[in-house]
Amino acid sequence: MARRQRYQRVLLPGEKEGRRDFLRKGLVGGLLLAAGGGVFLATRRTRAASGLGPLQILSPEEATVVLAVANRLVPERVGFPRPLDVGVPGKVDALLAGLHPGAQKEFRRLVNLFEGAVAGFLFEGQARQFTACSPWEQEDRLRGWAQSRVTLRRSGFRALKKLVYAAYYGSPQTWPAIGYPGPPIAPAPVAPERPPAEASEEAPPKPVRAAQQAKAAEPGPRPAEVRPRPTPPGARGAEPAEAASPPARPGPRVPEPSRQAEAPPAAGALEAPPAPRPVEPYPAQRSGVPAPAEEAKP
Amino acid sequence: MTDKPQAPGRIVAGPELRRDVEERPDVCVVGSGAGGAVVAAHLAQKGLKVVVLEEGGRFGRADFRMDEATAYPRLYMEKGTRATADQAITVLQGRAVGGSTVVNWTTSYRLPDRVLAHWAAAHGVEGLPPAALAPHFAAVEERLHVHEQPLAEVNPNNRVLWDGAQKLGLERALIRRNVRGCANLGYCGLGCPIDAKASMDLTYLPDAVRAGARIYANARAARIERSGKRAAAVVATVLDPASDRPTGRKITVRPRVLVLSAGAVGTPELLLRNEMNPNGRVGLRTFLHPVTASLALFRERIEGWRGAPQSVGSHAFAEPGPGKVGFFLEAAPLHPMLSAAAAPGIAGEHQELMSRLPNANALIALAIDGFLPEEAGGTVSLRSDGRVRIDYPIRPQVWEALREGAKVLARIQLAAGAEAVYSLHEDPVVMRSAAEVALLDRAPWLPARVGLFSAHAMGGCAMGGDPKRSVVDSRLKMHHYENVWVVDGSVFPTSLGVNPQETIFALARWAADHVAQGAG
Repeated sequence: MARRQRYQRVLLPGEKEGRRDFLRKGLVGGLLLAAGGGVFLATRRTRAASGLGPLQILSPEEATVVLAVANRLVPERVGFPRPLDVGVPGKVDALLAGLHPGAQKEFRRLVNLFEGAVAGFLFEGQARQFTACSPWEQEDRLRGWAQSRVTLRRSGFRALKKLVYAAYYGSPQTWPAIGYPGPPIAPAPVAPERPPAEASEEAPPKPVRAAQQAKAAEPGPRPAEVRPRPTPPGARGAEPAEAASPPARPGPRVPEPSRQAEAPPAAGALEAPPAPRPVEPYPAQRSGVPAPAEEAKP
Repeated sequence: MTDKPQAPGRIVAGPELRRDVEERPDVCVVGSGAGGAVVAAHLAQKGLKVVVLEEGGRFGRADFRMDEATAYPRLYMEKGTRATADQAITVLQGRAVGGSTVVNWTTSYRLPDRVLAHWAAAHGVEGLPPAALAPHFAAVEERLHVHEQPLAEVNPNNRVLWDGAQKLGLERALIRRNVRGCANLGYCGLGCPIDAKASMDLTYLPDAVRAGARIYANARAARIERSGKRAAAVVATVLDPASDRPTGRKITVRPRVLVLSAGAVGTPELLLRNEMNPNGRVGLRTFLHPVTASLALFRERIEGWRGAPQSVGSHAFAEPGPGKVGFFLEAAPLHPMLSAAAAPGIAGEHQELMSRLPNANALIALAIDGFLPEEAGGTVSLRSDGRVRIDYPIRPQVWEALREGAKVLARIQLAAGAEAVYSLHEDPVVMRSAAEVALLDRAPWLPARVGLFSAHAMGGCAMGGDPKRSVVDSRLKMHHYENVWVVDGSVFPTSLGVNPQETIFALARWAADHVAQGAG
């Protein structure tokens, strides 16, 4: 533990890094790069967790490291689902799948560096893989990366942290634990990989296309629900004297947007291009939205 | 195989293109955001034939589900993961038909006159006095329904800034927003589900389409073919909206005039890819308005996910005097993913903060970078694997602005009644009284040690009078090419000191006349 103190020391403003710090940073940074240089060996002894689900980019071992990080970033606490239960490794993997191959490689290299015993020994004096460490050792190691004096480690840590926390708290199952009610309009299920809406707004969906869409969607599109929002007790500005404060009223009710996205255009759509249809910025149905000023306080 | 050009005046999505397309318009605009949409509309209305290439997809309000997990990958650059190379600054940029205006928080400011004066004095920008831009500001404000958010519709998150600044005797003002019929849902950053935001996809792009412009969505401009000092053609790769991978189709546009409006990262990126960098200045002078945030916990509920994201701002510290970097103050919304990625600490302390999300308030300080003579800003470059790379070395004066900004924010939050204020350091500074704000002076203000953000990428193709030191001239034409203009936030030779979207709108409207002359 005496060894760890060094890395936790706070750099004061204006304080110059000593020459030895610079040497160590350069040396260790170089070693790190060498250790991670395109070789994904650090996870070769990692025991893959079960229940990770299908993966596109990460190996099961790498996903296991991501899961282990998530388990420490979100410790067990009543009301908070476990990261595996909300599919954190799969969600991180799915996001990576949409990134440039170079970014995917960089992230996998980072995961291997993080897991690796060599980096663990160099920085924390723990010659063990991250996944083989005890929970408190793992937390120490995470803090070692987060607060390191080596920029490379801090940068790597931030990339891990952002992706893992985004995957976890982007999951609706976690929202009750943090008191987030979800969007004011409950989204209707959307068919995945749906192409963007076409230019036309006025045209109603053609029956054939609507049927195709219904088939594609699972369990099938249903109208969005408007969730009434009760006024939370003790909302800021709820006292009568502050009539100007908005939160004392229920959340705005919003009608379901009536425009349905169209299914992909049928083959050969280009051979008979539709007539130019200018997009109407503010269609008539917009009047259905109550202006906030009209909402009476209860 | 090349298809015949289609009937004019529509938005064409990538999957519709089953053959390669060739277009011969007067003007090709690359990018459909704040710059591209306005310039395309005005050129089309002048009777010019305009083709717009947009790499993002076309989305409508039915696509905007107010769900972060689907919105960020769909509507943001690099699926929402864009950051400086050292991960120190998260860079948020939109990617859609309408560009960042689709996900913009609707904050609308005019460019302060002193910025134009500085551009004239320090960068040799000529013929751009405040009076030249004023009518264009007025026109875009009318078209985009820019108006002040009523105090009655300031949400509790912004109310902290309003109340706290008043208690400290600091200037603060209501923010003007480009909305009509706004229901204050609070999800501007994920696309407006009720079409209340006057974003480009609902305003200037339909104007352009009505005037005959053709807009290709899912069309990523890749190659610029040149003949001598002229851009002869732009070749765009058609992307499949689901996978974002090339479909194999391509669009070749042979315009008389090329307008680059791909943004402060995208425009330098495209020029660098095509080795159109004769004086080595492309991708330099990138400015970000680097942002630090201050997180406060209140006894009352704030519900920072609800209500207009930004409705109060303060420019009390925008002009700090010589040798210093100023900053301005605003609020930031608190949705779960954004909050979790930004919240300080890990494990138990992060979890505890998240469990208090309904009571959390977030205020931000934005450093006004680029005005000191020694400030070179950041750079946009290309990596060996083909990805774009953003570097931003944070100068001591910018760190000082961020630190002083964080101190002011903490004082404001405490004055407004916060029980505790947290910095965004990995080991957060926790302040429970004004006396403890000084703790921020001893915190480690280092890259990737404290959370920093930017939603205001600017510069990279600086305008200026000197062809050796700038990329475009005072009419936004590239110094070294006869028929290439840059009309977006990349032409700013400094940051602005205000949220940039409205300045880009107005500048694009002003520039349209110059581009039209070049095409005429």
